[in-house]
Amino acid sequence: MANEAEPTTSPADLAALSPEEQEVLAKVAEIVRKINYGTVVLVIQDGKVVQIEMAEKFRLR
Amino acid sequence: MSTARDLVDLADARGRAGAKLAVRDLVKTRTSTSGHTLTAVDHVSFEVRAGEFVSLLGPSGCGKTTILNILAGLDAPTSGRALVDGRPIQGPGPDRAVLFQEPALFPWLSVLANVEFALRFVDVPQADRRGRAMKWLENVRLDHLAHAHPHELSAGQRQRVALARALACDPDVLLADEPFGALDAQARELLQNELQRVWVESDGTKTFLFVTHNVREAALLSDRVIVMTRAPGRLLEEQRIGAPRPRDLDDVLVQRVVSEIHASLMKEVDEDVSREMGR
Repeated sequence: MANEAEPTTSPADLAALSPEEQEVLAKVAEIVRKINYGTVVLVIQDGKVVQIEMAEKFRLR
Repeated sequence: MSTARDLVDLADARGRAGAKLAVRDLVKTRTSTSGHTLTAVDHVSFEVRAGEFVSLLGPSGCGKTTILNILAGLDAPTSGRALVDGRPIQGPGPDRAVLFQEPALFPWLSVLANVEFALRFVDVPQADRRGRAMKWLENVRLDHLAHAHPHELSAGQRQRVALARALACDPDVLLADEPFGALDAQARELLQNELQRVWVESDGTKTFLFVTHNVREAALLSDRVIVMTRAPGRLLEEQRIGAPRPRDLDDVLVQRVVSEIHASLMKEVDEDVSREMGR
């Protein structure tokens, strides 16, 4: 039951993403692959991702 | 678009110069007057790369100040090594400025003279001292009080003079031990912002190691936060924070890191209480 106003993205739609969206997701994926425990935050201004922040946690004992 | 990965790459690039500060398998024990041996620091190893901002965080009595004092050359390890630029630390040096909780200013000297005085010890010619001291007082926005004496200043202003004095000597490393601990909340926030700005403007040339028990302060300021256990101090966990500065305490990432560290510390304290109660 897809609502017109709500964007739905299934894996098949990935190709339909704009180049900017693909760039953001590629960067997120790159970070996710390198982190075992942590947090990724996307900062959005005016509908655009302006910054990707991350924190990674390491157990030392 | 500046991303976390770019930031991490930048930190790695800075790190290629090698570790600026390092402690390896560091142990510090003390013998109390009653003859008991107390372990303050228990086999701790970590590195701080050139240009990095690292905070050492932990409950009081966990040995964080002891580690800082050893790196400052004010104390010696019982065993293990403390290195600066890969060389064992022999004593204090002008390459490592130390900022204490109490700004140790000379009460009989003006603000400007206090900063000028420090410049004598790093071979700044007398003709250049005034200009350089004034520049740093402008940097901490205290140039209008250059001719005031320490007792005429607020606690926050005095700590800003101490910061200007430390940085005027252009040290490679700034070691700070709870520098904002005695300040009220507003003065603390101002100085935190000031310190973020100074560190950003140093553009990777200055290495900061900060001892604090304030989780929010550590998450706000640092590239990495190293969390220590209750005494005897060991390393518990590390948080590597990739977010551009200036940061704000309201930032989602900062808040998230704060709550994670807080949870680890509370768990640590709980375990301690359980042990003491014999469960």
